[in-house]
Amino acid sequence: MVLEATMICIDNSEWMRNGDYSPSRFQAQADAVNLICGAKTQSNPENTVGVLTMAGKGVRVLVTPTSDLGKILACMHGLEIGGDMNLAAGIQVAQLALKHRQNKKQQQRIIVFAGSPVKHEKKVLEMIGRKLKKNSVALDIVNFGEEDEGKTEKLEALLAAVNNNDTSHIVHVPAGPNALSDVLISTPIFTGDGEGGSGFAAAAAAAAAGGVSGFEFGVDPNLDPELALALRVSMEEERARQEAAAKKAAEEASKQEKGGEQQASSQDATMTERASASASEAETKTSDMMDDENALLQQALAMSMDDPAINQEAKDTDMSEAASDDPELALALQMSVSDSSKDSSSQSDMSKLLADQSFVSSILASLPGVDTNDPSVKDLMASMQNQSEQKDDDKKPPSEEEKK
Amino acid sequence: MSGESASAIPKGQVDLLDFIDWSGVECLNQSSTHSLPNALKQGYREDDGLHLESDADEQLLLYIPFTQVIKLHSIIVKGTEEQGPKTVKLFSNKEHMGFSNVSDYPPSDTAVLSPDNLKGKPVLVKYVKFQNVRSLTIFIEDNQSGSEITKVQKIMLYGSTVETTDMKGLKKIEDH
Repeated sequence: MVLEATMICIDNSEWMRNGDYSPSRFQAQADAVNLICGAKTQSNPENTVGVLTMAGKGVRVLVTPTSDLGKILACMHGLEIGGDMNLAAGIQVAQLALKHRQNKKQQQRIIVFAGSPVKHEKKVLEMIGRKLKKNSVALDIVNFGEEDEGKTEKLEALLAAVNNNDTSHIVHVPAGPNALSDVLISTPIFTGDGEGGSGFAAAAAAAAAGGVSGFEFGVDPNLDPELALALRVSMEEERARQEAAAKKAAEEASKQEKGGEQQASSQDATMTERASASASEAETKTSDMMDDENALLQQALAMSMDDPAINQEAKDTDMSEAASDDPELALALQMSVSDSSKDSSSQSDMSKLLADQSFVSSILASLPGVDTNDPSVKDLMASMQNQSEQKDDDKKPPSEEEKK
Repeated sequence: MSGESASAIPKGQVDLLDFIDWSGVECLNQSSTHSLPNALKQGYREDDGLHLESDADEQLLLYIPFTQVIKLHSIIVKGTEEQGPKTVKLFSNKEHMGFSNVSDYPPSDTAVLSPDNLKGKPVLVKYVKFQNVRSLTIFIEDNQSGSEITKVQKIMLYGSTVETTDMKGLKKIEDH
């Protein structure tokens, strides 16, 4: 995420007609340039990139440093091959272009594609390198195309003169089956200094490695970044949900061992588990269950609000059931997690709910914001009362049965 | 003026170290191991073992912005006899200068340092030219012996702030 202004120096000399890099040296170079521009602009939106050609009639700046990727790609069209590369002039013009960048806070970097032989003397190159270092400009050299002894040596000398704390790099790309851009992706030119690569580079690397199938989700992040992002996000959400469910199951298993002594805490646990269970139920779409439980919940709340006596009974009932709590608890939880239909366990579950609700209401009463004299709360309770009468009848027989 | 000892702060002036805006301080052509804080920062600058060194050649370009407007009275540049700076050009309020445009503008002041200066004798600058300084650019053009590397052990800036200038203090300055 370094804020950087980059000038890319393209070699469009006659030497670039050669086909030892597929499809041609020049085309391979153009692809690499496109990739670099994309990587730079993605890693930091304020980065700017400019392009100039070193051969042809003379050094020509095609586009001054800009963050507009479209402009950069457009200027790569219609480039003509010809002439001879002038490395020294190219680098100096690049340095000048960087000097006049708009945002002075950007670090300066020059990327040179050296495909043709270097006709300058080593001393000249070293002097240029030192001047770059003095003005804190970093230099990346891509040595490809023509290979001769002198060239490598000169370029290495240039790098040594410029290099300040490893900010400058040189990459030698021999001709071969791998495309120029693929080789560059894994180099520090792409990955920046010690950043470990941006997402762009990583995705591109995946592409290079396995072709289309190498892409995550089978979608090219370059072609359709939004779709790739959406797929990635939904995958992570699903993974998170599964982890949460697994954690819940583990919690439930540990809760079963606690027993009746920790009724309150297990009730708490049940409460939270109910909450999360209801959540998972919503996901598994047991709408019937939810409606019933909601209604029962409301009844229980109303009951606990205006009839503490009954509530006590229910609670006592619950307490007596404490010994046999565990299997019921397990059953209740199982029911909440799986899709099983209502059975007697639902009743016991409801009694648990009641107890829970009394717990909840006692908490609510103690909350500073809740005022039982509030008209809206009163209305709610009134509507619940009608339901609660029906609920009373339901509750009493089963609790009496269980007492027996 | 000439009777001031090296360690005494000139009357009415303060050490401008507190007003330096460290986030904007830059130094071109410094060596990565021997950088500007060695010469400027409290504690580091007192240590003669820590110094600022030039890298590719003997020139150095320092850019020091301030948090408020100051008046610059004098500077102290300490260095070794051989490799300490000789010609020092000061530019006030010029941002982001490069080595290529140091010759484009006339400097606000030029100082040629003598061995005495390098031992700590302050150099008084043209005070009238530094009345309203937001940032200071120090261009060290060459060193005493003409060697490839310039070493600076300490740089101290003395002056006063514009807002809090004490009227009494002003009078004293005008005495010389």
